[in-house]
Amino acid sequence: MRPFQFHSPSNAAEALQKHTKDQKTHYLGGGTNLIDLMKEDVERPDHLVEVADLPFKEISKTANGGLMLGATLNNTDTANHTDVRKNYPLLTMAMLSAATEQIRNMATNGGNILQRTRCPYYFETSMPCNKREPGSGCGALNGANGKSAIFGWSESCVATHPSDMCVALAALNAKVHVEKEDGSSRVIPFSEFHRLPGDQPEKDTTLEIGELITGIELPESQFPDHYYYYKVRERSSYAFALVSAAVGLKLSGNTITKAGLAIGKVAHKPWKLEKVEKFLAGKEATLENFEAAADLAFEDAQPLSKNAYKIELGKKTLVQALVRAAARS
Amino acid sequence: MKTKTTSGIGNPLSRLEGKLKVMGKAKYSSEFAFENLAFAQGIQSTIASGTITAIDTSEAEKQEGVLKIITYQNALELKGYNGRVESPSTKGISPSLQTPEVHFYGEYIGVVVAETFEQARYAANLIKVTYAENKHKINFEENLDSVYKPDKANGQPADTSWGDLEAGLQEAAAKIDVTYNTPIEHHHPMELHNIIAVWEGDKVTAYASTQMVENAVITIAETFQMPKENVRVITPYVGGGFGSKLQLREHATLGIMAAKMVDRPVQFTVTRHEMFTAIGFRQHNQQRMRLGADKDGNLIAVGHDTTSHTSFTEEFQETCGLMTRMLYKTPNSLVTHRLMKLNLPSPRWMRAPGEAPGSFALESAMDELAHELRMDPAELRIQNDTQKDPSNDKPFSSRQLVECIRIGAKKFDWKNKWNPKPGHTQKENWMVGYGMSASSRAAPYLKSSAEVTLKRDGETVTAVLKTDATDIGTGTYTILGQTVAETLNLDIEDVQVELGDSKFPVSPGSGGSWGAASFANGAREACINAINNLKTLASTDENLSIVELMQQADLTEHNAKGTAAPTEEFDDYSVYSFGANFCEVWVDKDTGMVRLEHFVNVASAGKILNPKTAYGQIIGGITWGLGQALTEHTEVEPNYGNFITRSFADYHVPVNLDLGKIDVVFVPEEDYIANPMGVKGIGELGITSIAAAIANAVFNATGKRVRDLPITPQKVVTTPVTA
Repeated sequence: MRPFQFHSPSNAAEALQKHTKDQKTHYLGGGTNLIDLMKEDVERPDHLVEVADLPFKEISKTANGGLMLGATLNNTDTANHTDVRKNYPLLTMAMLSAATEQIRNMATNGGNILQRTRCPYYFETSMPCNKREPGSGCGALNGANGKSAIFGWSESCVATHPSDMCVALAALNAKVHVEKEDGSSRVIPFSEFHRLPGDQPEKDTTLEIGELITGIELPESQFPDHYYYYKVRERSSYAFALVSAAVGLKLSGNTITKAGLAIGKVAHKPWKLEKVEKFLAGKEATLENFEAAADLAFEDAQPLSKNAYKIELGKKTLVQALVRAAARS
Repeated sequence: MKTKTTSGIGNPLSRLEGKLKVMGKAKYSSEFAFENLAFAQGIQSTIASGTITAIDTSEAEKQEGVLKIITYQNALELKGYNGRVESPSTKGISPSLQTPEVHFYGEYIGVVVAETFEQARYAANLIKVTYAENKHKINFEENLDSVYKPDKANGQPADTSWGDLEAGLQEAAAKIDVTYNTPIEHHHPMELHNIIAVWEGDKVTAYASTQMVENAVITIAETFQMPKENVRVITPYVGGGFGSKLQLREHATLGIMAAKMVDRPVQFTVTRHEMFTAIGFRQHNQQRMRLGADKDGNLIAVGHDTTSHTSFTEEFQETCGLMTRMLYKTPNSLVTHRLMKLNLPSPRWMRAPGEAPGSFALESAMDELAHELRMDPAELRIQNDTQKDPSNDKPFSSRQLVECIRIGAKKFDWKNKWNPKPGHTQKENWMVGYGMSASSRAAPYLKSSAEVTLKRDGETVTAVLKTDATDIGTGTYTILGQTVAETLNLDIEDVQVELGDSKFPVSPGSGGSWGAASFANGAREACINAINNLKTLASTDENLSIVELMQQADLTEHNAKGTAAPTEEFDDYSVYSFGANFCEVWVDKDTGMVRLEHFVNVASAGKILNPKTAYGQIIGGITWGLGQALTEHTEVEPNYGNFITRSFADYHVPVNLDLGKIDVVFVPEEDYIANPMGVKGIGELGITSIAAAIANAVFNATGKRVRDLPITPQKVVTTPVTA
């Protein structure tokens, strides 16, 4: 590990002030991703500003009936919070499918949505990777791309976003609250928080340098009755998804009045299915409609040399998630 | 005279060292403390083939704590390598840093020694290496035309045949001709490979994580051209080996070399990432199976052709056809092994080398043949049983394969459950399938020595047993304690076992499933010698207790050595363990995720010294087999030739949740041809044919025959239904 300076501020203002406003500083949450990357010599910060203990550990009700998840609260406590379990069980289900209990105990909410890709070319410093070293090329594009993206990739980068939590947050239309050093704050809709790689794959998000995440806002109670997070993976636990689907449905009788949908591990960001949400609204909750929805969801997929299976697998995963969400009572 | 306690052999005693391990007091090789200990970190090649043209160490050398940077330019010259890398003449250490040539991605090309591990690792990142690259050979499929027949396949003939395979296939009423692929797999014992090397004058002590102490001593002595007496190897506890620690690897050479060059004790612990390239692995095996049977299910042709890869520096071939040569009777047999050289690290022995991948091919093929014949696959195995080894016409010392199958079938309720039509049972989204397989594994028995020291204090005698054998998590401490307690008729509390030190009597080390049989018989010999000595010293023929004998001889201490070794009779027989597996899997009909619901393993493996530790071995074997079947797979990067599956996040071993209900049955067996105690190893029998049973169950559930392991969701989804 390369030498670095460690800062442990006691409040947000001090943390924002400690940030050098360039690539040399990283905020440190639970450390479940960044520390690994530093050991691997992938991330080489000169400064770490520890934010894990900043006072954003509350889950509170918002004025418009939603919920604010503190950025520094850990994933375990967030997933198991009474209000989250009751009103956003899709989020609970997705979060508890991730990693292990130990990692969830350490990982913060702010850190979860900022985790880096698991693309092996990004982790291996002897390989080309535009995300790690802009201009070095994308090793996965014509390489071992069996787990790479099928949507929204570019010649520069075919990496996928690994988070389960984020797939649910995309389906739930969350918002990310951030602060700047001048004391101002802004709110970023979740669908605009992560970005596609384009020709700047080193940028995962639309955060500006030095901005600090303070919370994740959920709109008023979403899909408390009909929800499912289906994660397909190579073993029962402690594995990243091959593909996943987050489904929330609002039903009136058997008619879908509203749908919140996203799929995971298929793109550089959680893949929000707005078109499919609109398609399903007003339709009956039938297998036929779900299969039509899955066809629509994957019609623009562009597989690479080794990941075409994700289309078939992804469709079946989405259909099953829809079936299971609708069947819940 | 003391009555026998429940601490003798055959009792499910908990591990004698268990408490020490739980308390963190069992000292593994990396836990020996030395003042002045320095740390080594390897530098690895980042091309698959070529020559180093320049190494810039200037930035690294400036860093705090850096003591030495060793490359081929300043490494100690090692015996026999004279600037060219050849197949090593020693028993294991690879030629390290002797040339600028690079043979695979991840090869050690240097080592940084520093005051701390962190400093060494940081400095290693700052070293810049320039290469002249050669065109590399890394792709298995593209190099199939370069295969050759090796002189030997892991010490066995590469090819064997009898009868006429083609003629047998011609007349077969039912036949199959299919090809299976098993991928590159890695051992990954929980304890990382490690050495702490301490020189004192011209003597060196190596605290090394190794399965075989004597082998390690010889290797170090030969590599560093020093008398064997000047080398000591200490390894009291080993956190798993699975074959990867049979030999010392390059990190050991480099650690010993570095300690000499910096004149300080040096620790070299292989990182988890380096465990993919530095310590061996199981290579990709492509296996073509041709089976033919008459209409009643009698095998009349068995062909098994294996193609594997080795490296450019060493030749290693896994004998996948071993089991095919001896398991079933057939008038016509052809078993071949072929190799290609690739710019990948050298493959090595990995748990059940030969049987683990070979049994997947044979026992899947038997299932496919049973399907062709519309026959119960369990009955097909029983029908082709033989009490004579068809490969050499020797009788088996014992063979209870049919008993294993019948007992397993009964326990599993196979007759009622099994249905040949895939899709026969559905539970919600799951398709339920049943599968079975038969297994066998050689039960070797090797020369092994031990020393027992008896001390008497009044009415109490305590015994200390010493041998250089290792406990690699298998239970050696416990079974040897039980053997001594049984033979001397002492309480287990009065027996102490010391292992893993080259100053103790020589054993064959842990490997090849010969440990339990060899070590236990060696310990028993030492104890019998002690009793006989004491009878002489006490001038009695009576069967007195040890206390009485020592009292009568007026002794407070006695020391005896003993050596056990196979007799000539052993060679007149084929000595094997046998087993049968039955399982139930559930396969998600949409996503292809496979879940193991129930597994029944029946083993006929001689006298079970300790059912608890033996059960642990079988559970571990089933877990390994489950990983082989469903999750484990190391992928070669197609353009650069490195293992792109580079961490536990990419290389999936099974988790607890993957394991369903497991039942293990040990069939009573008395086989005193195998050895005087009738003990056979089970560590490798435990993994054999597990993957086949699971794959056969997946087929039975879905009608999909996935012939390339592992059976991942993506493969289940994309494999067509064929039944």
